[in-house]
Amino acid sequence: MRRANVLSGAALAVFGLLMLIFVIPAQIDQGPPGMMSPRLVPSLMMGLTTVLAVLLCATNLRSVEDDDGPISRAELLALGKFGVLFAVAYAGYALIGPLAAGVVILLGGLLMLGERRPLYLVLLPVVVLGGTYLLFYRLLGTPIL
Amino acid sequence: MTQLIGGFLDVLNLSTLVWIAVGVTVGYVLGVLPGLGKATGVAVSIPLTFYLGPVAAIAMLIGIAKGSTAGSAVSAILLNTPGEPSSAPTALDGYPLARQGKAQKALKMGLFASVIGDFLSTLILICLAAPLAQYALLIGPVELCAILVFSLTFIGGLSGKSLTKGLIAGALGIFFATVGLETETFIPRMTFDLLELDDGIPLVPMAIGMLAVAEMAIQAGNMRALDMEMAQIADSGNPDDRRVTRDEWRRCAVPILRGTLIGSVIGILPGLGASVASFLSYGATRKASDDPDSFGTGRIEGVAAAESADNAVVPSSLVPLFALGIPGSVIAAILIAAFVLHGLTPGPLMFEQNPRMVAAVYAAMLCASLLMLVIGYFGQSLFAQVIKVPMRLIIPPVLFLCCIGAYMESGSVFAIWIMLFFTVFGFFAKKLDFSFVTFLIGYVIGPSIELTFRQSLQILDHKWTNLLVHPIALVFIVLTAVTLVLLARAQTTGKNARTKPRPTGAEPQPSTQGRNR
Repeated sequence: MRRANVLSGAALAVFGLLMLIFVIPAQIDQGPPGMMSPRLVPSLMMGLTTVLAVLLCATNLRSVEDDDGPISRAELLALGKFGVLFAVAYAGYALIGPLAAGVVILLGGLLMLGERRPLYLVLLPVVVLGGTYLLFYRLLGTPIL
Repeated sequence: MTQLIGGFLDVLNLSTLVWIAVGVTVGYVLGVLPGLGKATGVAVSIPLTFYLGPVAAIAMLIGIAKGSTAGSAVSAILLNTPGEPSSAPTALDGYPLARQGKAQKALKMGLFASVIGDFLSTLILICLAAPLAQYALLIGPVELCAILVFSLTFIGGLSGKSLTKGLIAGALGIFFATVGLETETFIPRMTFDLLELDDGIPLVPMAIGMLAVAEMAIQAGNMRALDMEMAQIADSGNPDDRRVTRDEWRRCAVPILRGTLIGSVIGILPGLGASVASFLSYGATRKASDDPDSFGTGRIEGVAAAESADNAVVPSSLVPLFALGIPGSVIAAILIAAFVLHGLTPGPLMFEQNPRMVAAVYAAMLCASLLMLVIGYFGQSLFAQVIKVPMRLIIPPVLFLCCIGAYMESGSVFAIWIMLFFTVFGFFAKKLDFSFVTFLIGYVIGPSIELTFRQSLQILDHKWTNLLVHPIALVFIVLTAVTLVLLARAQTTGKNARTKPRPTGAEPQPSTQGRNR
């Protein structure tokens, strides 16, 4: 965890400095004179984040604790797969429609996670999509799309 | 009392009761599935309640929260894998009981203790919230700002292992809350010229991303090992092993009441959470026992103590929300969105402005407790089958529901982008131990902190010495400083103790974190 703390502290400190120096001045106007600046609270919070991030980094650099990585490769891979799945689903939504996006998330999700049994690959999307249709369009009487 | 009777009249109709039952059932199933807790369930379900009446909607969400807390004991007992970290002490004795063929007995005691703890804690909420709220009305912006800062510091310090990380999470939460049009000058802040961000970042997609989708990514990463953990638990042939006997009720009565008291007190204090309560209650029962060494080998009192405290936290954690408008837990923070959506702004004024609705919420909470008993008792063996469903069949429907939930918040795909952004954010926050609870609470109370901070600066005429005429604020500022010093010292001491070499043969300390699948 020590290495992860140092890295996350450093990343947050850089993020905080970038926000303070570039993003906040560019994205928030000073506001009319005589009123409290709209930048005040965002700047205060980013300043606090930066100081604490530097503190996190510094204390962990001195620490002699164990150095187990908190994130496994499989977890990062799963996060990446989720990214691909949602990207394909969005493409399906934009090119075909919401039903395609739903099918991609359900069927693609099953395939991505290792499900290969045809019955489940067919049944689960049908049941979930059908159930959603029944819930919103029939039971609640409110189309969601 | 008259209002409460009116509240029961609003709730005791078929439609509302059915929605409470749906909420409890859904919550129970979500609780059984490790990793899918009450916060996830409520966050995903808020958009589904758009089309319900206010009482039915809030009652259903409260049903989910309650059902999920009780349901998390099922996987703790049957799989030694708590549905939520707060059920970890339940597994200490529940799993050995299941291995002895007494799974039904442990499940039943877990349910009974949950219902008793939950019901009594709801009564405490009803008795405490309104009187506390009367005092809260005497509090001005300066005092409120100091109380909010104190609460966030307290939560940040206690909800994770590191005070620094907790404070970073809280500061980031407030920072993200400033996105959108500023309330006094209407100047856009960090909207990047996106009109969708003018109203700020919507809470529901953010919470869904951080709580549900990020958790699913973690579960997907550990899926193979988790599916292999499923054990075959065989029931004993002896009928006494499948029910709670009179002697066991006698032995468990005190642990249940003690657990309820501990859970209620811990719930009222912001930030401590159900895990602290259930471990404290389990420890207290073990300590009070004639044979403490037998705990961990299948003592039914251990299950009763842990579950009563765990469930007592949920209703009592609403006390600071109802009395002061301060969410003391992540579930309270998420429920704020639901309350506001359905016309009830949590805080001291709601008792004056909307007493009937508050009474209906109380009535719904009591009904949810009783329905939890009925649904849990008759459905327990069915819900127990849910844990046998492989995660690969659970994750895709959850992701689909998350998308629907996020989309329905604004009817726009932009909300799904928000959800995905906070999925990545939540994933790293969870894995790197930055308290997402503190982040979400910081986000929810951020606008109040900013508003009261602005008002305080004007009231105090920008002179800190004027704080002397606000003794309550001064007390909370001192408390914040003391809390920071104490927590920093406690964590430094703890870290030093951990880094010292352990003597040979020393037993490892039990973890206070549940084994999440």
